[in-house]
Amino acid sequence: MKENSLKAFLYLAPALLLALLFCFIPLGKAFIGSFLTISQQGRILGFAGLDNYISLFRDQAFLSSVKHTLLFTVLFLPLNTAITLLAAALLKTKRRFTAAAEYIFITPLAFSLSALALIFKEIFRGRVSIINRIFGLSIAWLDESIPAMIVLVILGIFLDFAFDYLLLLSQFRGTDKSIIEAAEIDGASGLTLFFRIELPAIQNMLSAVIFMALKDAIMISAPVMVLTEGGPFRSTETIMYYYYLEAFRSGNRAAGTTIAVLMVLFSILIMSIISRRRRDV
Amino acid sequence: MKKLISISLVALACLSLFAGGSSESGNTVIIWHSNSGAIGTAFDDIVDRFNETVGEEKGIEIEAIYQGSANDVLTKVKAAAAADTSTLPDIAQFDATAALDMMNSDYLVLPEELGVDTSDIMPAAIESLMSERGLLAIPFNASSLLLYYNKTLFDSLSLTPPETLDEFTSIAPLLGEKDSSGNVTRYAFAGVPATYELGAFIGAQKGLSYFVDEANGHTGTPRTVLFGKEGTFRNFLVHWKSLYDTGYVNNITSGVSTEFAAGRTATMLASSSNLSTVLNTVAGRFEVGTAFVPKTDEEATGGVNIGGGALFSFTSSDAVKTVLEYLSSEDVQLEWAEKTGYMPVNTALSDNPEYIAFLADNPQFRVAMEQTEASNPEVTGVWLPSAYQIYYSFQSEIRNVTENGKDIDQAVSDMEATVQKALDDYARQNLV
Repeated sequence: MKENSLKAFLYLAPALLLALLFCFIPLGKAFIGSFLTISQQGRILGFAGLDNYISLFRDQAFLSSVKHTLLFTVLFLPLNTAITLLAAALLKTKRRFTAAAEYIFITPLAFSLSALALIFKEIFRGRVSIINRIFGLSIAWLDESIPAMIVLVILGIFLDFAFDYLLLLSQFRGTDKSIIEAAEIDGASGLTLFFRIELPAIQNMLSAVIFMALKDAIMISAPVMVLTEGGPFRSTETIMYYYYLEAFRSGNRAAGTTIAVLMVLFSILIMSIISRRRRDV
Repeated sequence: MKKLISISLVALACLSLFAGGSSESGNTVIIWHSNSGAIGTAFDDIVDRFNETVGEEKGIEIEAIYQGSANDVLTKVKAAAAADTSTLPDIAQFDATAALDMMNSDYLVLPEELGVDTSDIMPAAIESLMSERGLLAIPFNASSLLLYYNKTLFDSLSLTPPETLDEFTSIAPLLGEKDSSGNVTRYAFAGVPATYELGAFIGAQKGLSYFVDEANGHTGTPRTVLFGKEGTFRNFLVHWKSLYDTGYVNNITSGVSTEFAAGRTATMLASSSNLSTVLNTVAGRFEVGTAFVPKTDEEATGGVNIGGGALFSFTSSDAVKTVLEYLSSEDVQLEWAEKTGYMPVNTALSDNPEYIAFLADNPQFRVAMEQTEASNPEVTGVWLPSAYQIYYSFQSEIRNVTENGKDIDQAVSDMEATVQKALDDYARQNLV
């Protein structure tokens, strides 16, 4: 028994070591650092108490970034879930041309995030953008606050779509056929069959997809960095992008450590709420 | 045995985490820069020529690495310095946003310590990089803000470029154009001023006005915002709002040059360093004119500050000194100025026949020099912490005032609070 647990620990060691090095030690350092005053070059200048937190919450730009992140999440989460679910549901039964649609849907997986963001930037650039030509619109997408946020949401969906779609599709196709056949014998069909039988059958995967999308929405920074750079007029600055600006561009360690700590606490809160709900189900 | 193997494998994996990062310097001088497009090509040519001539002779090789925008270079240098100073480049090209961090850093090697000869460098450019520690860097790509205008359009209307914002307001309706359904098809001006443009609009007021104390951060780390209590930002907003209210100002923050080249705006403000690129994009569809930046009001006589960038060094060696002297030399600065639109920083060029002939053929390139000569040399760039965020905050407040009807005094005090917070945070964390 003892031999076995030692063996198990050895197998886990590389992962544990990496987690320790890149997650837990930095987290601990950030947590302690958030109560200290540290210079740009890493010298500890003194104990700050709650000053770092107070200063953060007094910053209008930080409060705005929280608002922008919330707005993004509220737009992104339902849309992303609905669209991926719809795509997977429509293609769940293999037919003649489903393979073609599958290829198209999975293609975005082959592109890197920055490449896609740059393509979006070109598609939506200026008032005579490609997208405006196609749809006959006259919106300066990336020069106005709300349209810029919408473009960011579309990009977010585009980035997450392929993977979420794959997960849902495989779950749909992996559902035990006998349950569905039994329901059909009982006379269920169409929407009833879908909402009462098929959807509950994939609910675990669906909640995983929603959970991942929630994580992506709260943590969104890289697409902002490439597509809008927080603009126009700082209207798409999300929490993590604000964090990047303060911590890395300005070398403001006070803001960096406090946001890191707050985000971890927030994630723990969400995770505990979700795992409690799951236990209830 | 198996156990031993797995343990050693784990140990090996761990070791690989700490490998890498060592840099062999030899006589290679690594430069991190931010020159892209036509400017990037010009820079590469200059570097190549060094490696083939002076470098070949003295056994020095420049390795030039493009690291993104000037602000990206700063971000990377700060990250490198925080990690381990041996990962720093030998030289980095920064703009004014880096000055404050560099002034307070312990890894910067001053030109004076290197023994670089600066006697031939334009005094105004030297002044722009003077700090409480002395000269911080060697000027390399000096530029100034210019008003670019569609000369063909101005000529057809018999107008000359506006000298003040009030004059601009009065001619804006003539420059603009609307279609039959009332949509603006040509604006008088496109863009939203940010720190750089305000350097002229605020800095020039009353002959000389500072954004913050310590002479805009040059004589020490700034602690107090001045543009609020001195009323300079307010004064600018009042004049700018009248211009905006003509209906012919397009508040866009990206693609301004494209709009200008497409003839959808009659004027724009941009750095003189964009001149070559703008001329290439316009490609002769209309004549491009450059003019002095309009004054905020009649009393704003300070002119513009020298912007652009300079070469900061982090290694003390003769090779670095040689490279810095090469890059600021007469020949290099001549080539650089002709290919880009930057102002040559070497004073020997003022009587260089080739340069005089070039200016005679390309009058647009002359305006930046003339404007700098007509400016108060004490009007200098603003050295602020969190420069990147402040840049966008200025634009937000100007947009709020022009588009959303925000009260001007409220906008001034909000902007003042933003900058004051950045100053306080910086002082708290960096001044012992």
